Amino acid sequence: MSQWMQRIARRIRALLHGDAVDGDVDAEIRLHLEMETEELMRAEGLPAAEARRRALVSFGGVERYKEAHRDARGVRWFEELTQDLRYAIRGLLHAPAFSVSAVLVLALGIGASTAVFSAVDAVLLSRLPYPHDDQLVRIYNQSGPTNRWTLSTVDLHALEEQSRTLSAVGALRGKRVAVSYGSAAERLPTGFVTSGFLHALGVRPVRGRTLEARDDAVGAPPVAVVNHRFATEALGGDASAVGRSIMVDGVAHTVVGVLPAGVNDLAGVHAQIWASLQLEPPTRRGPFGLYVIGRLADGATLDASQRELVEISRRVFPLWSAGFQDSTAHLTPVSLRGDLLRGAGHTLGLLAAAVALVLLIGVANVAGLMLVRATGRSREIVLRTVLGATRGRLVRLLVTDSVVLAVVGAVAGIALGAAALELLKAIGPDVPRLDEARLDLRTVAFAAAAALFAAVSIGAYPVALLLKRDAAPALRDGDRAVGAGRRSHAVRGAFVVAEFALALPVLAVAALLLNSFMRLQRVDPGFDPERLVSIHVSLPSGLYPNDSGDTSVRDYWARALPLVRAVPGVASVGLGAALPPYDWGDFNNFDLVDRPVPPNTSQPVAPWVGIGDGYFAALGVPLLEGRLFTPADTGVAPVVVVSRSWAKHYYPDGSAIGRQMISGGCTECPHTTVVGVVGDVKYDGLGGTGDAVYAPVTEGWPLDLNLFVRTSVPPAQVVSRVRAALASVDPGIPLNEVVNMDERVYESIAQPRHMTALLGGFAAAAVVLAAVGIFGMLSYTVSARRREIGVRMALGATGRTVIGMIVRRGMGHAIAGAVLGLVAALVGTRWLASALFDVNATDPLTLGAVTLLLLVVALVACWLPARGAAGIDPVEAIRAE
Amino acid sequence: MDERADLLQGTLDLLILKTLILGPLHGWGISKRLRELSSDVFDVGQGSLYPALYRLEDKGWIRSEWGVSPEGRRAKFYTLTAAGKKRFAAERSQWRLFAGAVERVLEAT
Repeated sequence: MSQWMQRIARRIRALLHGDAVDGDVDAEIRLHLEMETEELMRAEGLPAAEARRRALVSFGGVERYKEAHRDARGVRWFEELTQDLRYAIRGLLHAPAFSVSAVLVLALGIGASTAVFSAVDAVLLSRLPYPHDDQLVRIYNQSGPTNRWTLSTVDLHALEEQSRTLSAVGALRGKRVAVSYGSAAERLPTGFVTSGFLHALGVRPVRGRTLEARDDAVGAPPVAVVNHRFATEALGGDASAVGRSIMVDGVAHTVVGVLPAGVNDLAGVHAQIWASLQLEPPTRRGPFGLYVIGRLADGATLDASQRELVEISRRVFPLWSAGFQDSTAHLTPVSLRGDLLRGAGHTLGLLAAAVALVLLIGVANVAGLMLVRATGRSREIVLRTVLGATRGRLVRLLVTDSVVLAVVGAVAGIALGAAALELLKAIGPDVPRLDEARLDLRTVAFAAAAALFAAVSIGAYPVALLLKRDAAPALRDGDRAVGAGRRSHAVRGAFVVAEFALALPVLAVAALLLNSFMRLQRVDPGFDPERLVSIHVSLPSGLYPNDSGDTSVRDYWARALPLVRAVPGVASVGLGAALPPYDWGDFNNFDLVDRPVPPNTSQPVAPWVGIGDGYFAALGVPLLEGRLFTPADTGVAPVVVVSRSWAKHYYPDGSAIGRQMISGGCTECPHTTVVGVVGDVKYDGLGGTGDAVYAPVTEGWPLDLNLFVRTSVPPAQVVSRVRAALASVDPGIPLNEVVNMDERVYESIAQPRHMTALLGGFAAAAVVLAAVGIFGMLSYTVSARRREIGVRMALGATGRTVIGMIVRRGMGHAIAGAVLGLVAALVGTRWLASALFDVNATDPLTLGAVTLLLLVVALVACWLPARGAAGIDPVEAIRAE
Repeated sequence: MDERADLLQGTLDLLILKTLILGPLHGWGISKRLRELSSDVFDVGQGSLYPALYRLEDKGWIRSEWGVSPEGRRAKFYTLTAAGKKRFAAERSQWRLFAGAVERVLEAT
């Protein structure tokens, strides 16, 4: 036992004093050689030099002996590791151009993919922040495979009363409303929710109580739960918030609870205030508009719930068929997580695919560089082999090289990734929960995995070469033996082909997005956004009851509009419930009297925009046919104006004027008549359709309206006076949402713009890397075949033939890669179709253009080293070897 | 080749321990004494000698210390430890058993 411990002590000493022990060994060998030399001189009378030589020969390989000695000490692995590291780092520092470019390429690749991974991790891979999030479902009305919409009070009550597979059901109606507390008033995102909404999510306040079933009853005192931020900033802290009274949409609500800090979203809806939603008993099936979620009961599956909800729909819907005839419609539960991430997977998947391709190209590039480097070191390696270094040792030496590169690349990559993630959050795709993405252990683990992959990929081939090689011929052939060999040429060529094959799809995707974006940018929004501002005016329902007979809303606007028109600089004024180009305000179904939908099918829908006097004039929308609204249109004989697209859609052959429809499924109401056709305005994004139906606000004043003001001077000079004019009518109404319409149009395509920019960056990186790869390969070819080229030129080859020879070799690889990439792109870009506007995912012009672009870049990258080859002086080249 | 014999695997340790039974020696001294005692039959390649010495030291059978040689040089002397003596006895009887057996087989008619 004690012996065993002594042994360990010796090893530790050897480890700690490695140099001193090595010194001992040196001294001992020196002594041995001296003694042997003297002995030989004395015994055999040899001259000193010869004796010394004999002594050395009889001793054997000194270096090998030292290794064996260290082996015996059992610390060799450790010493060799540090030695390999030192050696690798020294070697890399001696080739700064190689090392810097390799590390840079790896860092960029690892950094970009790490950033995208953390986004994917936060958005797609992590769970929702609710207990048993896999039990949460969102419930839709569904008819047909793709037609889904929200629920009505009837639907919610049916679920609450009859479902056994759902343990909790809750509804939300979210909107921005005026909230006042103390003397301050602002418009805040507010979620009006039933108690079941919080209950289903399992969210509990940290202070006070949650909403309870009794709060849902009509007539119960209105209460609200607020988030931590609102409690702190508006109500002086969590403790003092509970019990306070705030005005929400003009109605006094008592704050009964405060949510935990950081809970700002519930089921993907952002709100600061969660006020009790008190639903009046329904009189008809509609209106829809409730965002309903539920929690599956323990043991209930989604399938079971699906079957049950279809059953409930069959029982309940016929009772309400008067206002809603679509008998194929039924309630359907879908995973809440899947519902929230719909679309995000597509966007992030696109980014992840692009970034993975760029990483692969980068790794292929560095692998190519490593091969050149291994070639350059082949003489050194052969020498080491002859001097007795073992194969395992040499392999480790090479592996250490790639590991050092990959580790440095990964560390730099993680730092870059942190910056890239911030960039991604700032301009990146609009997906839920992206703001929660951060660099954490999982991200670092991902970066480490990427680095490991990179190290293996870039180190594998030089090592394979080493293991296959027979030392002697390599030494004879000099330092071209490895890299200039047929096999390693083939491998380098394969790397270049792969780089082009990977670069082309990235470039194709970027080009398709760019093409689509440029088309989107040219789309006419249908109105003139210059010098047009909109001010959102939301009259609180508490003060503007707006029920039958009440004229308070009409009166407000009757007083406000003349005051606004009188502001100097105001050219024209209009009122509208929608905010183009991407907010349609309201949607409505309709049935054309002269061509009704078949029984039991759903009716067509369109954006249903309530507008006031002057809307079309203020926005600059032309009247194409018929008339606009007059003060006489008060709803006794309902009228609408339709857009040109709508008219073409439903009456392609004749005029739409005078056509009649049943609006909103109200069969008892008087028919609605089309009286005019106006130009298209985009309400569903610039890429959306131009379908729209306009109804006069005089038929039923909405509380929420946008006041559009066209100015004759820059709007900034006018807005404050317009606000003052409005405030003089009712000072309690928040007027903080002022939108410059030109900015709004620009912002409406921010998403595609950012995606185009991101993918464009990736594509640029991919093309540059591919170009560098082919350039490196040919530069090396030229240097390795210098002598051969010299001989050719001495035999009469012209510079042109030499250039042709080199360029042909390079372009062969580039074209092979591009063809492979084109095939991949043709398959892969189909996936992009839904993200493209007005461009086919396999648009031959775009794909042809990117192929051409890539090949032109390749040609330049080939031509540069080829020109160098043509400049070789034959005499010098032949003599050099 | 020459008249020198290749050492059987494992016998070098035994021989080294034997040379040290007679007293501490430095590396070159061990190699010289081996040559003398074997009448130049065993010329241990020094490339094998020193690793063997360190292996034996690592196993605790010998220990080393720096001293001054009779020629007045600084040298590392190897001494047999108590464990080494026991080991030598064990190895020697092993060897005798083995050598005797081989001899008997070869002598058999």
